[in-house]
Amino acid sequence: MAHDWQPDFEQLVDEHQSMVFSLAARMTGDRGLAEEIAQDVFLELDRHLGRMESAAHTCYWLRRVTMSRSADALRRRRVRCMDLWIEIKEAHGASAEEKESPLGARLEQMLATLPEPQRAALVLRYQEDLTPEEIAKTLDAPLATVKSQLQRGLKLLRAKAQSHLKEFVRAKG
Amino acid sequence: MQRGKDVGQEPIDEFERELRQALERRPAPPGLKRKVMAERGRLRTERIRSRTVIWQRLAASLALAAVVGGGFAWREREEERKGEEARRQVMIALRITGHALNQMKTQLAAHHRANGD
Repeated sequence: MAHDWQPDFEQLVDEHQSMVFSLAARMTGDRGLAEEIAQDVFLELDRHLGRMESAAHTCYWLRRVTMSRSADALRRRRVRCMDLWIEIKEAHGASAEEKESPLGARLEQMLATLPEPQRAALVLRYQEDLTPEEIAKTLDAPLATVKSQLQRGLKLLRAKAQSHLKEFVRAKG
Repeated sequence: MQRGKDVGQEPIDEFERELRQALERRPAPPGLKRKVMAERGRLRTERIRSRTVIWQRLAASLALAAVVGGGFAWREREEERKGEEARRQVMIALRITGHALNQMKTQLAAHHRANGD
């Protein structure tokens, strides 16, 4: 299909590197691996640049490929939730401390302990601000499944927050 | 986008606001773009090089095919030429033989006439 949109690769990397890296980092819990995934994703984008129809299509494509590459990487490494939590703690200890809100840092750590499908749905929902429909399209999953993963993930995260972050619970009343 | 609504289409609460804040995009590592561009350059050079090698191999194969094909064509033409030459020689031989036989026949006829047959 012919389209007029002429993307500039360097500009696309500039524009989307933070999104791609953040998605990969939150899915894998490993900064180094996330950087590798981000590199691979952009190199794949370079190979498929001619097929990109618009800026929105490129953004959707990048999210989709990043999520799929991250899932592949996780499968390859057979990372279990607890390992991931420890890894995140080690790899992101400094950056977590830099965060203004300690609850935010804890939430990110707790998110890493969730099952992969729930984590994927929550990351796309709260990092990328996607609707459940958009998440379903990105993950190639049924809408009902995504909604249920979002609800279950959120519930699990709340439960973890309640047990681990007493001060947050107190603040909520 | 549905900012202000949670997954159940209800207003978002403090927890979700915190979660959204916690999950803001992180800045990419400073060297990521440089690495991507360098790797892209390397891959492009590699691709060009491998494409050149493919073309070189293709050209060499075509040249070899031309030489082999030319050899076969030359051999075929040479055999044709030799066949033509052999046919021409056979025709000459037949003509000479015919001529000799005619001469013989004439001499025999003259001999018979001289003997009064």
